Amino acid sequence: MIEEIIILGTITGAVFALLAVGFTLIYGVAGVTNLAHGSFFMLGAYMFSVFGPMGFVQLGIVPALILAVIFVAIVAAILYKLTIGPIIGDEVAVLVVTVCIAMIFQQIMLLTFGPEFFPVPAFAEESTIIWGVSVTYSRIVAAVTSLALFAFLWIFISKTKIGAAMRAISQDREVAMLVGINTERLYMLTMGISASLAAVAGIFIASSTTRVAYSFMWLEPLALSFAIVVLGGLGSVKGTFIGGFIIGYAEMAVAVLAPQGGAIVSVVPFATMVLVLLVRPKGLFGKRVEMEE
Amino acid sequence: MVATYLRRAYSSFAAHVFDIPPRLLVFLVLLLLVALPVAKLDDYVLGILISANLLAIFAASWDLLVGRTGQMSLGHALFFGIGAYSTGLLFENFGFPVWVSVPIAVLVGTSIGFLVCFPCLRVKGPYLVLVTMAFPIILEALFKWAPLNDIFHGELGIRKLPSFFPFLKIQGQVLAEYYFTLTLLFFSSIILYKIANSHTGIVFVSILDDDVSSRASGINITKYKLMAFAISGLFASLAGCITAHTLKVANPPMLSLSWSFIPVIVTFLGGIGTIYGPLLGAYIYFILDRYVLTILVDIPYELVYTKLMVFTLIVVILILKWPRGLARFTTDKLQDLEEARDIDERGPKIWKTYTKKKKK
Repeated sequence: MIEEIIILGTITGAVFALLAVGFTLIYGVAGVTNLAHGSFFMLGAYMFSVFGPMGFVQLGIVPALILAVIFVAIVAAILYKLTIGPIIGDEVAVLVVTVCIAMIFQQIMLLTFGPEFFPVPAFAEESTIIWGVSVTYSRIVAAVTSLALFAFLWIFISKTKIGAAMRAISQDREVAMLVGINTERLYMLTMGISASLAAVAGIFIASSTTRVAYSFMWLEPLALSFAIVVLGGLGSVKGTFIGGFIIGYAEMAVAVLAPQGGAIVSVVPFATMVLVLLVRPKGLFGKRVEMEE
Repeated sequence: MVATYLRRAYSSFAAHVFDIPPRLLVFLVLLLLVALPVAKLDDYVLGILISANLLAIFAASWDLLVGRTGQMSLGHALFFGIGAYSTGLLFENFGFPVWVSVPIAVLVGTSIGFLVCFPCLRVKGPYLVLVTMAFPIILEALFKWAPLNDIFHGELGIRKLPSFFPFLKIQGQVLAEYYFTLTLLFFSSIILYKIANSHTGIVFVSILDDDVSSRASGINITKYKLMAFAISGLFASLAGCITAHTLKVANPPMLSLSWSFIPVIVTFLGGIGTIYGPLLGAYIYFILDRYVLTILVDIPYELVYTKLMVFTLIVVILILKWPRGLARFTTDKLQDLEEARDIDERGPKIWKTYTKKKKK
């Protein structure tokens, strides 16, 4: 029982951290609370199965993944340019518009794919046994790739020139503009990166755990990323990493220990979030979260 | 004696209503709504109007909380659902009559508003949105949870709730419910509007504009946020329990996210932060929803969910291109009309003659 919680919790935690880091990134750089983050998660899963071996365009697993992620990134960048860009800075308007985008995506998915569950192909059907727990290979692939992507993102932000520009904008937008950083283009780029990370997480979770895509799957990941980000402190990449694992273990513990736990596991992120905000609104790690400009 | 009194009442009414274009418009709309059932509408149309009245109360309460106080909430269905479920549970378990259970349910809704407020007081902006969004979702999952089916009846909800006027015939019941909801709408919108434009309302707007500086100028913002949540919860749960009794059911969709989203649509249609905007918005919403998208453009039953997409698209375009909304646009035009008049011409003749006589 405890082995199950540890092993499966680690695997889900890695993917959750990847999901939430995109959310934290766009908030940290552009100050946009993207409530449509879950929609990119959903769009990724749908596009993966459309491009995948069982879908309309029958490609292999890897090209399908890459194509789906690129598609989502482009959609996110266009959406940013059309809707969020013109009203950036007006918090209420951004919140309402991003929720609207999420709702529109939900309806589009209902319209094109119908209300039924849409099957998502797995990376591999076989499973292995680690420490007495049966784990499918696709979950292991998902966890390892997520960790690798996370490391890659960390290097990208801390070492490259674009990463430095992102950090500069998050510290002071006007000064960053003064030294010649094109903020608009960087916001678009960040939005694309953030959405593609969500899409990767969506593909991993849909193909290794749930095996289906459906049109209401945006809300739960949104709550998840919020819970994780609140745990770690909004705008902090390191905190997001740790928060992802905490939520992963918590979900697994509820699923394993509670009676009929599978039915109420979706409540865990919401409940954790409310609890954390009640007890420690600054996040678990004591870092002061600036909620004002 | 009586004649003077009547004359005085009439002239004061004329001065306070006829002479101010926005008020005159409201008066005419009210007259139209009161007289509408004379046109022998069928029960379907009356039912839509009843829903529109209740939705208008619900959306106006959202507007007070979000448009006036800036406490961005996307979980307003919580109050609505709590109101509906508490009146339903009171009826089912204790057999309370309607006129007793509704006030109790409203009280329950208000106190839930108070309770929910405590985690909400500590957070703002995006955090607040997610916290408010979380409550109805948790509650919805709880109401649907299999072990609690004996109490909440899962997906089906609590059914066979009594109607308000059981002693009337069906036709009379619908008519009576229409006038009942219209009266409720009239009084609750006046109360909400008066609150929004009182001293308390000005403090609410100061919290919306800048809560740090309003705290710096000695305002106890915690108290005012609590007040805003409680007032908003009161009217939302009122709308909820009346809706439960008119539809005769209290079910989980009343707590769903799309139901929390309807007041957003309605408020942005009318104009946020105006209180009267959502009232107009609710009627426009129902005209679009039940007439344009049902009768004019006949959407097949399988595609019924595309309606929500159309409305969300409208909201996005409104926010980007025309954030002032329809109702505020109208009042702006009326205000221009009034300001264009010569100052001596203001006020109806009867009021002037009356005041002149008094001076002599």
